[in-house]
Amino acid sequence: MSSSGATHKSGWFSDLYQKRGLSGPAAVILFLGFLLVPLLPGKFPIIVGTEVLIVGLFALSFNLIYGYMGQISFGHGAFFGLGAYATALLFRYFQMTAGGIGYFGFFLSLILALPLAALGSWVVGFFCVRLTGIYFAMLSLGFGELLFYLVFSWYSFTKGDDGIQGLLPPPFFQDATYYYYFTLAVVVLSTLLLWRITESPFGYTLRMLRDNRNRAAFLGINVRRVMLTNFVIAGTFAGVAGALWGPFQRSVSPHILGWAESGKAVFMTLIGGAYYLAGPMVGSIIYTALNAYVTRFTVFWPLTIGIIILVFVIFIPGGLLSVIDQRIRFRLSAGKVEEIRKGEPVSPPGGGA
Amino acid sequence: MNGKILEVSKLSKRFGGLQAVKDVNFVLHQGDQTAMIGPNGAGKTTFFNLITGFHRADSGRVLFEGTEITGRPSHEIARLGISRAFQISNIFPKLAVLENVRSAVQAQMGRAFDVMGRADRIGVEEAEQIIRLCGLQGKQGVAAGELSQGDKKKLELALALSGKPKLLLLDEPTAGMSLEETRETMALVDRLNQDLKLTILFTEHDMSVVFNHARKVTLLHRGQIIMEGAPGEVRANETAQRVYLGGHPA
Amino acid sequence: MPDLGSLLIQLFSGLSRAMMLFLLSSGLSLIFGVMNILNFAHATLWLLAAYLTYTFFQIFSGLWGSEALVLVNSIVMATGIMFLLGMAIERFLVRRMYPRELPEQLLLTFALILIFSDTIKLFWGVENRRIVLPIEPMEVMGSFVNPYFFVIIAAGCGIALGLRFFLQRTRYGKIVRAAVFSRDMVSALGIRIPAVYAGVFGLGVGLAALTAGIFLPIMPLSLGIDMDLIVQCFAVVVIGGFGSIGGTFIASLIVGIVYSYSILFWPDGALAIIFLILVGVLIWRPWGLLGTEMRY
Repeated sequence: MSSSGATHKSGWFSDLYQKRGLSGPAAVILFLGFLLVPLLPGKFPIIVGTEVLIVGLFALSFNLIYGYMGQISFGHGAFFGLGAYATALLFRYFQMTAGGIGYFGFFLSLILALPLAALGSWVVGFFCVRLTGIYFAMLSLGFGELLFYLVFSWYSFTKGDDGIQGLLPPPFFQDATYYYYFTLAVVVLSTLLLWRITESPFGYTLRMLRDNRNRAAFLGINVRRVMLTNFVIAGTFAGVAGALWGPFQRSVSPHILGWAESGKAVFMTLIGGAYYLAGPMVGSIIYTALNAYVTRFTVFWPLTIGIIILVFVIFIPGGLLSVIDQRIRFRLSAGKVEEIRKGEPVSPPGGGA
Repeated sequence: MNGKILEVSKLSKRFGGLQAVKDVNFVLHQGDQTAMIGPNGAGKTTFFNLITGFHRADSGRVLFEGTEITGRPSHEIARLGISRAFQISNIFPKLAVLENVRSAVQAQMGRAFDVMGRADRIGVEEAEQIIRLCGLQGKQGVAAGELSQGDKKKLELALALSGKPKLLLLDEPTAGMSLEETRETMALVDRLNQDLKLTILFTEHDMSVVFNHARKVTLLHRGQIIMEGAPGEVRANETAQRVYLGGHPA
Repeated sequence: MPDLGSLLIQLFSGLSRAMMLFLLSSGLSLIFGVMNILNFAHATLWLLAAYLTYTFFQIFSGLWGSEALVLVNSIVMATGIMFLLGMAIERFLVRRMYPRELPEQLLLTFALILIFSDTIKLFWGVENRRIVLPIEPMEVMGSFVNPYFFVIIAAGCGIALGLRFFLQRTRYGKIVRAAVFSRDMVSALGIRIPAVYAGVFGLGVGLAALTAGIFLPIMPLSLGIDMDLIVQCFAVVVIGGFGSIGGTFIASLIVGIVYSYSILFWPDGALAIIFLILVGVLIWRPWGLLGTEMRY
């Protein structure tokens, strides 16, 4: 790669870009941005920021299945919901037995969401991984909806459509800013883990499944076992996001398990870029910001986002990050057109990082 | 006498109304370099699919190195040591060449489930070796989907080799290649057989390749083996000529 | 235990629902069979057609004497418009997605749901709409039945037969069936495939529109009923088997009747039972009752 053409970008950027693809610098920029959000005036930015982070993590977990493994799941919201309800129910338990929730109870409620989400995704995944493509999508949708109805109808346990209210975290975390930083910490940790996973041999096994499932089998890979493992990992991280959601909203309700919510993750991933680790988070920012902005002027949000998705699907299927990636790569070659010949890499190592 | 590496007995497969493979008995010994020829639709690809677990046989047995592999899933058979290169390049288009081979190597090493390791540090030397062997050096960073047809074929072979196979099945390895590329590829195949002691079974339509590079030829027609023998024998045989070679002695 | 009369009512309700599901799912199955596109927005377009028919009915009501005549004309007009809309959607949007991967195709039609359901909201607002035809209820076994049910069942059968005739006997229909098997072959025979695709999509949407119009007299319109419906259509197509009209028919009966009776016992969860069947079929027999068996 010619560095003599890199005039505008400073050394650290192009170094990081060479080594880690676009997600490296993107992650750094995003992290700095998130750190600085509380400096904006008022409480609103912090609240929006927390939502962006939580939903972004949900989308990141979804992208393990979609961008890295090549399947689309419309039931991912169910694991988000499982995590949320696990935390919520434990919250209620502590609140009822002890009057309020202490720090120990708080952290325990969050942590115990993980095994429930993992178990749920294991059961659902067990059946889903025997299928691919449209059948996989439908079965995941079906399971998601069944879980929704389970939560919706089991009034005595989950309070059904009323949802579980009054999830007040312990005093320190009641402050929006502190909860925001707590969420940021959890999301950063999760993202680092996800990054580690996607850049591991397992992560490349996933990409092999995405690009050519059959060939992977002929190379000795137990496709179903890989798919199931990935499904469980993705479901668990969705559960983490869900766990954070309840105390944030101070309540949970069944709609978070539905396929409309799962659809949100798909949109965010599409808009941000499915082939980049940071893509779903970028998508979350754009989606949430758009939502907040558009709903001020009009009630026709679905129409707006529908048109945007249409435009992206047709013209920018790789998402915003793919556009930026192309631009950067062009810039780094400093417009030396003859270098952009057949044989030059179109994507940075990693099939987009 | 070398040991039998592949033993197929009375293998049959039917698709609806079509009997694709019928009562095939076939043996390969360690170190063989055998060609399987026959007109289109003779059942060569189905035969490969049956051996590698892509289809389930209706009847018959397949033994690999003495172990029964009939009905076992593809990935298990691959792990046992049978590798396959496809006629139409069957690669991972969004991954770079190095990543293609490296990931295949990692799978062979049993590291497919390694979630915490660093993919870019495992199996790289081996991958680079295979890439050099197959003539793809300098193209490591190219996305596989962007390669030329010939290079895709090379990558195809490289992937098959990553599995450290004992038996290599090549489905029309020189299809679509120029004279030069054909020579290169078959020279490599010979080397693999000679130096690395790989048993090779390949299908081909190019008769010069068959007669120059196969020590044994098997003729398949309508799912059955019509005859087997040294290339010269098959070439001279009347039935073979009628069925496939055009009716005139070469 | 509900009495025999209300059980009978539910049966009629179930049969007419089955008819609607069959007509709707046939269009869905046809589009999928020919173009390999799952039209998520099928029920939403159906709803749009229903609202359109409603408006035409409101406009022309009283002008031509017989309300039935007004209804028929409204249906014809709405169906015509939706047929053209369907062709336009294929030509300008769906066509771009053929070389793409499945998730992107699904996303496109998903986006169409959002766009069209909000379009409905834009033009018709959020209140429920219904048309009323002056029909005397019939008495059957102690309960009152709307005789329009019989009209529906007759019309539904008529359309189904018409569709079958079209597919089996007309030239265009045979081209469509051939395209399901092999679009390359059809193209090689000199038939313009793009025209076939546009026509099939238009046909599917037109069929949905026709269905919407016929069911309008017994069905109050409200936003959101398309979401419930599309999921039921998925269930039908999966249970029956993609690409099999016969399978669609049987599955429609199953889903329609099960749904109707479930409403009696568990109104909120009737859809859940449908999902249960959907999940069950996908686990035990993903290719459905009459679909072509897949190899795993």
